[in-house]
Amino acid sequence: MTDDAAIKQWFIREVLPLERDLVRFITRHCRDGADVLDLRQEVYERALTGAQPNGLRSTRGYVFTIARNVLIDRARRAKIVSFEQIADIDMVGYDMDLSAEDRHMTARDELRRAMLGLEQLPPRCREVVRLRKVEGLSIRETADRMGVSHHTIERQLTLGLRALTNFMLGGEARINRSTDATGVTQKAER
Amino acid sequence: MSPARDIEQQAAHWLVAREQPGWSAEDARALEGWLDDSVAHKAAFWRLEAGWGAADRLAATRGGVPIAPAPHWTKAPIWALAASLVMVCMAVLALWHFTANEVDAPAIRVATAVGVHRQVALADGSAVTVNTASTLRAAFTSGQRQVWLDRGEAYFEVAHDKRHPFVVFAGGRKVTVLGTKFSVRRDGDTVTVAVVEGRVRVEASDPATAGRAAIITAGDVAIARGQSMLLADRSEQRVQDALAWRRGVLTFDQVTLEQAAHEFNRYNRRQIRLGDAQVARLRIGGSFEATNIDAFTRLLHDAFGLRVANDSDGVTIKS
Repeated sequence: MTDDAAIKQWFIREVLPLERDLVRFITRHCRDGADVLDLRQEVYERALTGAQPNGLRSTRGYVFTIARNVLIDRARRAKIVSFEQIADIDMVGYDMDLSAEDRHMTARDELRRAMLGLEQLPPRCREVVRLRKVEGLSIRETADRMGVSHHTIERQLTLGLRALTNFMLGGEARINRSTDATGVTQKAER
Repeated sequence: MSPARDIEQQAAHWLVAREQPGWSAEDARALEGWLDDSVAHKAAFWRLEAGWGAADRLAATRGGVPIAPAPHWTKAPIWALAASLVMVCMAVLALWHFTANEVDAPAIRVATAVGVHRQVALADGSAVTVNTASTLRAAFTSGQRQVWLDRGEAYFEVAHDKRHPFVVFAGGRKVTVLGTKFSVRRDGDTVTVAVVEGRVRVEASDPATAGRAAIITAGDVAIARGQSMLLADRSEQRVQDALAWRRGVLTFDQVTLEQAAHEFNRYNRRQIRLGDAQVARLRIGGSFEATNIDAFTRLLHDAFGLRVANDSDGVTIKS
């Protein structure tokens, strides 16, 4: 249990702040944008599986080595190898620079970022998230106030939560509707 | 459907449910169970928990607290301005220096070893970068600017001087320029001229056979062998790629492994050999450190599953 807590701490403090660079790295080597989320998740999974937070000298080096391996494994599975992608992986991994300020946001930055992310959500989703985060309303209360079903609010909230997390970690506040039959990714309105 | 996306949606459901008034100890145990199911669940849940938690700051905006805009304006560093002024002064001085004295300098000879490239400043203000295993001579007498590329490859940045054409002799070819950037390469009896900037004239060096001269401009490549010459209209980017060796890098765009190995072998004593015809025909692209054969062969192994066998004087690659 304590081990799990330590790993969780390490994951939140050291791995998640790398997300923006990690996603950029994966995107650069992955032509199919739809795979990025799966690849990112696989990197996190492997990072957690092999994690020994105290024995690590560089979380950054560790995470990007894993990312490189994940990309190579994927290229192998794909059978049609674009050598170019793999060739670059070796060199690119090192030259990415990240300033310390970028990694750890202050409370003020966090607030500013959260406000910006909120603004980018579609109007209805934004209102649901605002009522939860700012006014502290429950799903039931929000549903009553807006006059829609519990289920609708729950769905908007989960979508908003995912989009806002993406944004807080340096990505875009995109709504990702996984369970829609179409599977279309809708860009948040500005 | 994306498995990661499904897991993320499940994690979001748990997270939202946990914040609701009806959350019970039983629910908490169910969540524990779900998290223990797989590392993937933990990764997704912890991530959303951290991101969503960071957005808790929004509570501070309750009642409409104004937020000061982020400071965008940064002071222009004085030293950067000073440094650029100094550079301009130096450039002016250099220009004055080169125009002031008529060029009449002793001949020089530059030879490089395998895997080395070297930049040399010439007496007329031109610069030449001499690539791996190359030999070059230059003579500036009575206003003539003449260079002989005896072997290998060189990249020229020629100082502009209308009255004194800059001439490079290489393998029976004569390349004449006024002021421009270009490279000349000898590979057996083949001479390749690639132009980065400006125009150059390529012709046979023997006046008796100097029938046709070709004028090539930026982005062009002339490949001459014997009496024939091929002009290729490549893009400027590709010419730049071909000159990546100046940074110690080889850049390939879908060439065969045979061609790539030939390039690497110019830069290294340890030679790359291809074990079979199938391997030789494989097409590859990418950028590589010219003198790091091991990194290159490791990637061949990683990406194509090719077998790499090291021996005393090189590497053999087999399918």
